[in-house]
Amino acid sequence: MTSQGWVWFIFLLPTLLGIGLFTLYPMLESFRLSFTRGAEERYVGFENYQYVLTSGSFRQAIFNTFYIAFFQLLIVIPSGFIIACLIQSLRRGKNFFKILFYIPNITSMVAAATVFLVVLHPQGLLNYALSLFGIPETIWLANPTSARWSVILLASWHALGFGIIINLANLQAISPDYYEAASIDGASRFKQWLYITIPNMLGSITILVILGWIDGLQRFTEAFMLGGHTGSPVRSLYTLVGFIYERGFGGLEYGVASAASYLLLVLILIFTFINIKFFRMKI
Amino acid sequence: MRSMGSSMRRKWEDAVVGLLLLALGMIMITPFLWMISVGFERTANVNAPFPPRLIPYDFSWFNYSLVFENGLMLKAYWNSAVNAFFSVLLSVSSALLGGYAFSRGRFKGKKILFVLVLATMMIPFETTLIPMFIMFNDLHLIDTRYPIILPSLINAMGILLCKQFFDQLPEGLRESAKIDGAGEFKIFFHIFFPLAGPITATLAILSFQGSWNSFVWPLVVINSQDLKTVPLFLSQFSQESGTPLMGVTMATAAVSIIPVMVVFLIMQKYIIQSIALSGLKGE
Repeated sequence: MTSQGWVWFIFLLPTLLGIGLFTLYPMLESFRLSFTRGAEERYVGFENYQYVLTSGSFRQAIFNTFYIAFFQLLIVIPSGFIIACLIQSLRRGKNFFKILFYIPNITSMVAAATVFLVVLHPQGLLNYALSLFGIPETIWLANPTSARWSVILLASWHALGFGIIINLANLQAISPDYYEAASIDGASRFKQWLYITIPNMLGSITILVILGWIDGLQRFTEAFMLGGHTGSPVRSLYTLVGFIYERGFGGLEYGVASAASYLLLVLILIFTFINIKFFRMKI
Repeated sequence: MRSMGSSMRRKWEDAVVGLLLLALGMIMITPFLWMISVGFERTANVNAPFPPRLIPYDFSWFNYSLVFENGLMLKAYWNSAVNAFFSVLLSVSSALLGGYAFSRGRFKGKKILFVLVLATMMIPFETTLIPMFIMFNDLHLIDTRYPIILPSLINAMGILLCKQFFDQLPEGLRESAKIDGAGEFKIFFHIFFPLAGPITATLAILSFQGSWNSFVWPLVVINSQDLKTVPLFLSQFSQESGTPLMGVTMATAAVSIIPVMVVFLIMQKYIIQSIALSGLKGE
């Protein structure tokens, strides 16, 4: 321990200042606000939490958020893993495919959603592609279920590249010795994949599930761009963060919005905890 | 030793996998290519280009020139560039200094502070959203660049990556300088910082992309047209004009992502490495 320990706090000053002003203080303030109501910040106990938890629009927001997050992960995680395995099995062109699949992720969500508004247009790309298989025209953003699936499609398109890169990094970290030993023993490539690759991939799958739920619970931009402030049609694209945004900045109900934001935080912590436990048990 | 037959088979497998990946990859980037192509379709604002095609029937620069006509896009570009410049400056310096302190510093509370920094990654930004808005509003800084730029001081992932980078450098570098009586700042700026080129570049790219694409927070704090960033301008444009003006909208979306695309295509190796690294370090 040097006598000049304080000098390190100068190095840390920007970070500590940032965390103090833009994380710790707002966290405490948000907690306090969640127990108040109105511009005069009158203390109301748990009323806001009670209100949020019993409100129909919050339940709708929870349902939409979970529905979209669940199916998006169900699509992205397995397909990201399989595509990464396919890329890894190539002897040439790995880099080309990495770039190709990563391009959607570079596109900002606002630009991606703008493009999807046109892709989902009745005379857009999606209906045209489906018509080639004889599937009749759908007006994607007119009906609640197909609108949710539109967001799922957009979010999956955007996130797939990230999953592929993470999976590839993990695949490359598996020692080639395992595969060599297995192929000397005469194991087929499929068996090697089943018995060597998959068990070694649980780490990156876990991280993708955790990050995926954290992102999914915070979903907003996609739904906002396709469905506006109220998540049209009939609030089918109204998400948890949409609720916070509408109540906080539309209705200036800071107390209600803060209570909802704490519920979001608790949900994220619970989900992260469950995911870690679940995957630890499997390992 | 591989026999002739199995190496032939391997070649076939590679070809099949390569073609499959190429087909999937083409599907993935079709919306992206279509965006560029619809922008070049002169009549797209009047008639939806149906059936969808990648090569425009009536090629022209008309829509792209319209994007720049009223100067709003250029203004948005300028705003995004200024915000990105200062955000990158703040977040990279704070990460380098902080990462160095956590790597080489000896001071009380180092462990706790490091955990605190990492914990900020778990906290959803929405939980701090409302108090942050109130705070900047009380300071009369809403509708200025400050609320967008200042929170960039927090860069927990950057600190983590920098700490790991500095951890790899030999301790001997410090010892000899210490013997010469150099202070901690001198040691950092004269010895360690000049070696930190690669990590600085990586952090700058990631932070640039984050800043250029950020949407929700600017949406909350910016009202005046003069300060709108590129994603704000695009979202406004696509919600006001949207699919009726398909050609200009797609051209606007394409123009909005040029900077991140260019940076990605030039620096793709760095970017993909750092994405993989940050994902795996998350474990």
